[in-house]
Amino acid sequence: MKSNALRIDSKDNVVIATRPIGKGDAVVMNGEAVCHAAEDVALGHKVALAPIRSGDAVVRYGEPIVQATRDIGPGEWVHVHNTQPIPGDLRE
Amino acid sequence: MEFTGYRREDGRFGVRNHVLVVSSVSCGNGVVEAIGRALPEVVTVTHAYGCGYGPSDLAVSHRVLSGLMNNPNVGAVLAIGLGCEALKAQSLATSVQGKPAEALEIQKEGGSAATIAKGVETATGLLKALNAQQRVSAPVSGLVVGLECGGSDALSGVTANPAVGAAADRFVAEGATVILGETTEMIGTAHILKRRCANPELGEQVERLVNGCEAQVRATLGPLAGMVITPGNIEGGLSSIAEKSLGCITKAGTTPIVELVDYACQPSKRGLVIMDTPGFDIDSMAGFAAGGAQLIVFTTGRGSIAGFPAVPVVKVASNSRTYNNMPGDMDVNAGSILEEDRTIDGVGREIFDLSLRVAGGERTCAEVNRSAPFGYLKQGPTF
Repeated sequence: MKSNALRIDSKDNVVIATRPIGKGDAVVMNGEAVCHAAEDVALGHKVALAPIRSGDAVVRYGEPIVQATRDIGPGEWVHVHNTQPIPGDLRE
Repeated sequence: MEFTGYRREDGRFGVRNHVLVVSSVSCGNGVVEAIGRALPEVVTVTHAYGCGYGPSDLAVSHRVLSGLMNNPNVGAVLAIGLGCEALKAQSLATSVQGKPAEALEIQKEGGSAATIAKGVETATGLLKALNAQQRVSAPVSGLVVGLECGGSDALSGVTANPAVGAAADRFVAEGATVILGETTEMIGTAHILKRRCANPELGEQVERLVNGCEAQVRATLGPLAGMVITPGNIEGGLSSIAEKSLGCITKAGTTPIVELVDYACQPSKRGLVIMDTPGFDIDSMAGFAAGGAQLIVFTTGRGSIAGFPAVPVVKVASNSRTYNNMPGDMDVNAGSILEEDRTIDGVGREIFDLSLRVAGGERTCAEVNRSAPFGYLKQGPTF
């Protein structure tokens, strides 16, 4: 099966769409379907690989990048609509 | 592991053996260019500086030009000055250790034509002397590799930068030094970089550096400071400044940070080193080259063509479109991770292997194209 997603670090709980993924399509990593896309996901955007609870860190590059503002299920698009910067990361 | 390079008196190894012809002040640029036209084998370096600024910029100018002259890829130097400038050609030549370094002043030599004639004669002699030198076996642990990204796109942090990170880990595993720069592109990751430092004191220094850079960006850009993460970045899928900056620092791989050095200063340790350089590619690469980097690995999404004088730059495209659209400018296609199901580590291996072949003499696209822009960081006013 042709891959359409890439996990950058083994600790990551999101994968990156390496081509546009349509709603209902299998999210395929290393030739294996890992979940199904809950919505359309554009190239370069993030898809949850595992359940992410509200307040939990979204991990990419093996590091926390943002935190979920609501529960996010596998296959959901992860971006600014359901996450926020981790408080204290960047001084305002 | 080994490559073949040119052994220098200080024990470092050059991956090239260039005669460098440098102007100490921009007034000498025409003479330097004329010597370069007469002798295309020399590497010429011209710039817009050398006079009319304060002591701190003068010190940085000296450090950058002297550092580049002392870079192990340079086998001999000819510095060209005018005569009445602040940054003297003779003072630069005197700073060069363990290799031939000559200086000429245009006013003293009797004008442009006389200096060009004498410069061509001098450089011809230097070229002849270097031709007699042979490559010898050199340890990969003697390499210092600068890591740069420029003209990034939404895929830089997905393909090219992680692949360079995999290559960086291989270099460090071999005992080599890799330099991560571009402090502006570390904003938002101070806490992460701090944790990756080999000791707490270094962690504090790195945190202070990145937070200081953030404060400077805010002071300079005011309400535009938020533009460090742009609407375009968010459209591309980046959710926070931390995510964007992680996409940049992932070039450095996963090994501990062992040292922090100032702009254009030579690292004293082996392993992953941070250098305080600006985000602008050319000025940043000048810092690496002056710090002794013999090689630079440079990722690009949109398609930067910039090499650097005397230092081979390996170009890694983040996507196949740019790679195919600019044939002859890109050395590696990290876009193959997307289209050909290659792994990040596989492309990292390709970058590492190619870098060693380049160290041994294989020319990069930017070298073939003679694309070697030069500039460096200047911060104070010009008087």
